[in-house]
Amino acid sequence: MFLGRVAGTVWSTVKWPEAKGLKLLLVRPYRLGDLPPGAVAGGAGGASVPTDDLVVCADILDAGPGDDVLVAFGHAARVAISDKLPPGTKPNVPIDAAVVAIVDRVALGS
Amino acid sequence: MIRGTVIGQVWATRKARGLEGQTLLLVAARDADGALTGRLIVASDVLDARAGEDVTVALGSGARNVLKPGPDNRDLLCDAAIAAIVEGAD
Repeated sequence: MFLGRVAGTVWSTVKWPEAKGLKLLLVRPYRLGDLPPGAVAGGAGGASVPTDDLVVCADILDAGPGDDVLVAFGHAARVAISDKLPPGTKPNVPIDAAVVAIVDRVALGS
Repeated sequence: MIRGTVIGQVWATRKARGLEGQTLLLVAARDADGALTGRLIVASDVLDARAGEDVTVALGSGARNVLKPGPDNRDLLCDAAIAAIVEGAD
């Protein structure tokens, strides 16, 4: 999984039929350089330039722009959205990323 | 698997049903030389890893095997898990 911030919404009309009604979000992954200095003891802070691509994620939690979220990839993403799909289709949907949590708090350090 | 250092814990109230009860740790990835790559990973933890500890993180089906070994674990919501707490590497 990764931690990211919702940057926007994607919508489409031409898509895999069972994916109708599935909301898609654009999420920008956080990198180490986005955290306060000293998040890692002895670390230099890592790369500060955000180079990761935006990730398009299915969303069943009704997250919105500005929310911090957790995104799961692969089979875990399909498990997360399987409740919302028509019976018999899971987990064979063309989804490889899904919002699985809306983050309340990140506690850095011990 | 990748190697990294635990830097914190993530808390969420609104979450997918499959995440209930899981401890989720924030891990900063390291490269082959041990340098931080800048990438952050959120991994499920059953080994009680603490902030500052070096760990390995298993991804994909390997991660599910950390939470529950065997073929009957495909319903688990897990794509990354702390697989080991590292004592040394050279």
